[in-house]
Amino acid sequence: MDIKDFIAPFAVWKRAFEKPFTVNKPIDERPGAPRYRGFHINDSARCVGCGTCEAICMNKAIDLVPVDALKPDGGDSGLRPRVDYGRCCWCALCVDICPSGSLGMSNEYLWVDRDPEVFRYTPGVEAKPWDGAELGYRRADGYRLLEEERVDMPELDHHEAVKSFLELVRGYSRQQAEKEADRCVSCGVCVASCPAHMDIPGYIRAVREGDLEQGLRLLYETNPFPEACGRICTHLCEAACSIGSGRSADGTPTDPVAIRWLKRYIADQVELADYGKALPRAEAPTGRKVAIIGAGPGGLAAAYYLALLGHGVTVFEKDEAAGGMLRYGIPEYRLPYPALDKDIAWITSLGVRIRYGVAMGKDLTLVSLYGDYDAVFLSTGLTVAYKLDVPGDKHPRVLDGVAILAAATRGEPLGLGRKVAVVGGGNVAMDAARTALRSGAEVDIVYRRREVDMPADPEEIMEAKAEGAILIPQAIPLEVKPAEGPDAANKATFVWNLAEMVQKEPGKRPVPEPIPGAVVEKTYDSIIAAIGQGPDLSYVAEGDGIEIRRYKPVIGPDGRTSRATVFAGGDLTNDRKDAISAIADGHRAALAMDRLFAGKEA
Amino acid sequence: MIKLATELAARYGSRGWHNQRPDLASVQIDLSRLHDALAWLKDNMGYTHLSFMTAIDNIERGVFTLTYTLRNHAWNDGKGHSLMIHADVDRSKPEVDSIHRLWGQAWTYQREMKEWYGIDFPGSPRVDEEFVLEGWEGPPMMRRDFDSLAYSDATYAERPGRVSHDPETYMKEKLYPEAEA
Amino acid sequence: MKKQAQHIVPPAERANLDLDSGKYLVMWQGPNHPGITGNMSLRLVIEGDTVVDCETHVGYLHRGFEKLMERRLWMQNFPLVCRIAVPEPDFNEYCYAAALEELAGIQIPDKAVWLRTLSLEMIRLASFLMWIGGQAGAFGHGTIGQWTVTMRDYVLDLFEELTGGRIYHMFIIPGGVRGDVPPGFLKHVLETMDIIQKNLDDVELVMFHNVVYKMRAQGLGYIPPDWIDHYGITGPNARAAGVTRDLRKDLGYLAYPRLDFQPITGTVSDAYERSRLRLAEMYQSIDLIRQIVANMPSDGPFREKLPNPLYWKIPAGETYVAAECTRGEYGFYVVSDGSDKPRRVAVRGPSYTHAVSVMERLVRGVNIADVAGLMVSLHTYPPEVER
Repeated sequence: MDIKDFIAPFAVWKRAFEKPFTVNKPIDERPGAPRYRGFHINDSARCVGCGTCEAICMNKAIDLVPVDALKPDGGDSGLRPRVDYGRCCWCALCVDICPSGSLGMSNEYLWVDRDPEVFRYTPGVEAKPWDGAELGYRRADGYRLLEEERVDMPELDHHEAVKSFLELVRGYSRQQAEKEADRCVSCGVCVASCPAHMDIPGYIRAVREGDLEQGLRLLYETNPFPEACGRICTHLCEAACSIGSGRSADGTPTDPVAIRWLKRYIADQVELADYGKALPRAEAPTGRKVAIIGAGPGGLAAAYYLALLGHGVTVFEKDEAAGGMLRYGIPEYRLPYPALDKDIAWITSLGVRIRYGVAMGKDLTLVSLYGDYDAVFLSTGLTVAYKLDVPGDKHPRVLDGVAILAAATRGEPLGLGRKVAVVGGGNVAMDAARTALRSGAEVDIVYRRREVDMPADPEEIMEAKAEGAILIPQAIPLEVKPAEGPDAANKATFVWNLAEMVQKEPGKRPVPEPIPGAVVEKTYDSIIAAIGQGPDLSYVAEGDGIEIRRYKPVIGPDGRTSRATVFAGGDLTNDRKDAISAIADGHRAALAMDRLFAGKEA
Repeated sequence: MIKLATELAARYGSRGWHNQRPDLASVQIDLSRLHDALAWLKDNMGYTHLSFMTAIDNIERGVFTLTYTLRNHAWNDGKGHSLMIHADVDRSKPEVDSIHRLWGQAWTYQREMKEWYGIDFPGSPRVDEEFVLEGWEGPPMMRRDFDSLAYSDATYAERPGRVSHDPETYMKEKLYPEAEA
Repeated sequence: MKKQAQHIVPPAERANLDLDSGKYLVMWQGPNHPGITGNMSLRLVIEGDTVVDCETHVGYLHRGFEKLMERRLWMQNFPLVCRIAVPEPDFNEYCYAAALEELAGIQIPDKAVWLRTLSLEMIRLASFLMWIGGQAGAFGHGTIGQWTVTMRDYVLDLFEELTGGRIYHMFIIPGGVRGDVPPGFLKHVLETMDIIQKNLDDVELVMFHNVVYKMRAQGLGYIPPDWIDHYGITGPNARAAGVTRDLRKDLGYLAYPRLDFQPITGTVSDAYERSRLRLAEMYQSIDLIRQIVANMPSDGPFREKLPNPLYWKIPAGETYVAAECTRGEYGFYVVSDGSDKPRRVAVRGPSYTHAVSVMERLVRGVNIADVAGLMVSLHTYPPEVER
């Protein structure tokens, strides 16, 4: 043993005069690091209650609980995550996955209480000292567990698109669809917002798992128009989608799952000949007979579900083909006829009879149906276009938007000329404008309010503009005058007054007020009015027993009119005026009629 | 490696050689020739190190698949090579030759597998003693048909007051309760 | 005093002892005992003050991780694996993530490679700092533990800054890591390394040039070289017997091929040699950490995008991914049947053999007062035995 081994240890006595390594601060002055994974915080206003935190939590530490102050609505379940710190392991996967980005963690780690029950609380709802903490764990930029961008949909280039009526949106490939389906977290927040309450998480799962027959089965449970809705649905579900509730690193909103395109993918991939393998057949005939007036989506949805239940269905349609507004109101480049025909072919394959060219009131009366049928469903839609309601609106160059779209469907010459004004801001206006563009015209879209106020789908507005339509917002129509100059007989001059938006009542949307003197005149070959449509209820006679109020049959929650065996739905009664609402109406009425036949209700 | 695969196949009827990485391969061997093959690999082929041994419950096929992972430290200029040797044993009568004389720590693994899977290694020291599950009376816990969640639910009480809600169902109750299922 | 000559190799077979003869005393060391490493116990049979037989008892810490993993999603296991070896969670995270990446065919970004390497070296240092406190403490040197546990806390401060957690870092996530380094972090790393190095210099003087420590540790727990393969001994326990094996070098995973270091070996293979070797590896770690800080790219992505963790399926297959932890070969054997959950995950911890087969044999003939010191010199962690 070396002498050094006795002496060496004493050498560190020199440290006695140095600053010690230890700290003598009291522990409560030692904050967690800026990234510390401490107690949860939740921005309750941003949280949508989707429960993805609960799904990823491997400790089952999170419950979704109702919060009194929150009411469920479109994109918010009204639930909020409650954390049980008896189980939480502070891994922060909940923070990493949170679609809305509302969850975070504070850097607070000290919390002492004698009552063990308090260590279970709803962050952001039950106030805690660390609420709103700046410091604490947040997921890093460039690190996400969920994909924030949707799979790009292959589309025709706008310059190409405007040259023909070819379908713009090409549809997902299998790989694209499965990748997009993988973005969904199956939270189900979207289901409430869908008028038909489709099993959206279910059919997206079917896409993910490559089981398209199962997907088709789920689609048809609530919607017999998957090809049509997969293309033109107003997709309220996507507005409600939790995946679209977040913000990307650059501050833009994250993309909701392309629910509509996935629906289309399922329907596109299964051949009509294979539908029979996936879908239920009609039950044995019950002997009941139902008449349906109007072969639009509402009428045919009712027909489909009634036929499935074994009831005999006859549909009366005034036009020469079925589909209603889906065929005559929506241009081919958005909904090609073969796709619509596929939906209709499956419905008729169940034994639904459609009698074409039968107009109510002219060829047929309601009373005559009462005798022959056990129940009647009215889905005649909105067929009468509103007039511009300005002096000169009877001018022959003032055309009706819906009629133009129908003419385009029938392949009739449109004769719109080179310069076209479209008046209105709804989807019909956008479709009319884009149809006019495809006929080679220069198009102005004249709208009373601002672009943000337009009722049309934002993507339709965007595409109309991209295809070359000029948007003239805040323009109040004043008059249509005969044109002057050469070829004046085939032109009309449209006069409008530019407006400013005035907030008249707080909380209500601002209204356009004409700016004195700001009057504009422009001469067009055609002026297309697309400011809305109303119903034609002339076929309802006073003795039919159907109460009508404000141009609508009065209906109960199941679609029943004041006459027990007559139901109504679709655009005729539904303020949403879209296909999916009409389909939901038809489905609901079919189930109500079935209950009626079963004697479950008076 | 190809040479080893061929020779192992010729001597012990091994099959299904698979190169997972340049330094990791796996091969299947019959249970009856397992012990001899391991001894040969250890004594003659440089696979002197037993990294670990374990089992996989392939309940669908009615077998436990044993995995013996050996390592040849010297291979490729000292970078080494690992070989996973698999052998299936009948799940209804799981008995395997003990290798406790080949490697000094093997008996512990065999004791573990007896406790966790119910695989017996006759002759292995202390193979019937409890390993980590003192007082355990349930079935061997690593078997796939032992449902640990069901066991836990049956054995332990849930903390009272815990209830969660599914967003879809909750929104239906609140927003459209009249809709039919 | 030259102790090398006294190296005794305990017999392979257990003696047949008549415990009722009155000659022997059965005594439990642990599970509650200051000289035990974690929650395990030794059932000792003593004759006088000499241990004649020993059985290792584990099971106090069994949490069924391998079973639990089979019913959790691949990503849900990420916060679970770190708990398998408490003082060195990062090796679990790395082995699990690397196994999944290999099976799923994922390449991780270079930045993640460096951050993972940094994380593994930092925890190696922290773990050794805790170990050395235990080693000194087992021989009555409480002071060393006070110093080095403080040093370890400084490393944990670094982990807190980098990952948001002190003990369970949950940083090495499949696909990469969870975040880039925060501003100023690398500077803090270098400052901390300077402090620790200075402290280790003191430890060397006080502990290793100390007649008491030498007398007690030298000659204790001699592991003959022929035991290495027979018992599957790895890490410092093997290197102290002169075996040049270090998976960092042999497997060359992560950024290790780009770092300049050589495996450290010893010759004497007793408790003193093993602790000296570990001290040298602590200096080596400090050096590696400095190299990593100097060579790590300053920017670039740190994680590869993976599919939605709620549905992530890994192609059917199996792999074994090992890494050199402070105690030796640490590995994850992962089997996928192609579903969204693992079919089987088996964890290989070096203590499985060090704490059981090796310990039981080595302790025969040892003075009762040296059992704790012997055990710590094998650097055993019970949780990796039980999983």
